[in-house]
Amino acid sequence: MCCEPLRALHFFSPVQVSIMQRPRLLLIPILLLLLAFPGSKGRYNDDFDDGEDLAEFDDNDFAEFEDMNEDLTAEKESAPPPRVSSAQPEEDEDEDEATVELEDGQDGFEDSDTQVPAHLQNSWESYYMEILMVTGLLAYIMNYIIGKNKNSRLAQAWFNSHKELLESNFALVGDDGTSKEAVSTGKLNQENEHIYNLWCSGRVCCEGMLIQLKFLKRQDLLNVLARMMRPACDQVQVKVTLNDEDMDTFVFAVGTKKAMARMQKEMQDLSEFCGDKPKSGAKYGLPDSLAILSEMGEVTDGVMDNKMVHYITTQAEKIESIHFSDQFSGPKVMQEEGQPLKLPETKKTLLFTFNVPGMGNTSPKDMDSLLPLMNMVIYSIDKVKKLRLNREGKQKADRNRARVEENFLKQTHAQRQEAAQTRREEKKRAEKERIMNEEDPERQRRLEEAAQRREQKKMEKKQMKMKQIKVKAM
Amino acid sequence: GGIFNLCNPRHFTIGIWPPSTESNPTLEDPTPDYMNLLGMIFSMCGLMLKLKWCAWIAVYCSFISFANSRSSEDTKQMMSSFMLSISAVVMSYLQNPQPMSPPW
Repeated sequence: MCCEPLRALHFFSPVQVSIMQRPRLLLIPILLLLLAFPGSKGRYNDDFDDGEDLAEFDDNDFAEFEDMNEDLTAEKESAPPPRVSSAQPEEDEDEDEATVELEDGQDGFEDSDTQVPAHLQNSWESYYMEILMVTGLLAYIMNYIIGKNKNSRLAQAWFNSHKELLESNFALVGDDGTSKEAVSTGKLNQENEHIYNLWCSGRVCCEGMLIQLKFLKRQDLLNVLARMMRPACDQVQVKVTLNDEDMDTFVFAVGTKKAMARMQKEMQDLSEFCGDKPKSGAKYGLPDSLAILSEMGEVTDGVMDNKMVHYITTQAEKIESIHFSDQFSGPKVMQEEGQPLKLPETKKTLLFTFNVPGMGNTSPKDMDSLLPLMNMVIYSIDKVKKLRLNREGKQKADRNRARVEENFLKQTHAQRQEAAQTRREEKKRAEKERIMNEEDPERQRRLEEAAQRREQKKMEKKQMKMKQIKVKAM
Repeated sequence: GGIFNLCNPRHFTIGIWPPSTESNPTLEDPTPDYMNLLGMIFSMCGLMLKLKWCAWIAVYCSFISFANSRSSEDTKQMMSSFMLSISAVVMSYLQNPQPMSPPW
């Protein structure tokens, strides 16, 4: 009977028992003591009932035990009430009963003056923080599903409205980049829950066109909350890469004032070739909200023909930036100190960034309004193919590019020299080490001699070169 | 339209994607990686210092990392991050079943 509480604990591992049951373990000895005394009382009672040994026991003995019993109950009271509240019925019940059960309505020693501390109550109400956490997680998951579906619907709506135009202009619409051969998938490629790509190729005048639907992160609740403070809109980015013969050499950009200021600082080619501050496009009939960055006036005149101006004016609120460049290499890359800079690879590119109307509250119907912008893109591709600078313009452009290259080489000259010097020193050191490590003195001598001869030859070659240069200069 | 007929659509080449100058996606949005790392740090704090709120934040970080992740990312990484944060929460409650107290 007294072993049963202990047996119950065997279901738990000893470690768990010690950690979980520490406050309750103290109960066990108390319970055992309590169990023992009602039993002993019974025994003594039986003996007493037998009657034969009555003379040995007198009232004092019982009084003794009764006192002890009272002491025990006093002890119980001083112990924390909840522990004892489960012990209380134990006392009242049969001593053989080993399981601890709290009777309904039994408050133990709880009365109106003492409150059970919250962390010792075992009701669900005390776990309100946990319930809050779980609710938050559920809300996050719900938002994830809803946001993901919304983005998916928007992407599909965009594709449905643009599919015809793209398929009539490009042989390959949709490539997921997995197969080595160009196979048209005819659908969007999902990169993310908020970014969808579409690669179109197979058109004369361009190498290919990559369209990126950069939606807002509707699937991320944090982002949704951040957007309540700072509204943003979905964007469609179109990047047309051209072959060398498809574009003359010029750099040009038009867009919102903010975008132009930012791009002039961030973009490698705009910062190098369009040094002047963004100019207003009012001269060409553009709205005041737009600004122009151009390599030279002739380029602006060439690009801003009537049709282009018409396109831009009617779609002004949707245009974030339009960037034509033969020296496009993306944003400026921060190089680490000491690393020799390499001239960045450039590609002839037309880059369009459009804002989807609705400022975040976009509906699939709004995607149709982006169709004229795609028409503008196609028109631009053909226009750029035809646009050729005149002789003066070409000379100016060539001079600009030569200047940029020279500046770059000058900046990196010191670094490149240093790098070459360190490489040479490293080589010499390695060779010397090899010679020193050579145990055979004969071989050592021979290697040293060979190294010396090589050095001599190098010096002679250098001297010859210097002489040749001098002769040429003369 | 007339302008489209100037370029004969029969003479073209088809290029496959991605072209060689594709930028590194990690540079554009580092959120999933940061959140993954944060989640793991909070999980470890929650497990070792027995802090329940750390473990709960770790679970949130895992969810946020998952929501922002790219499709090219390894699902094993995501799953391990999830499992770690959930185990941190479970262990915190096994060690100390009392409810979490608010910081105020």
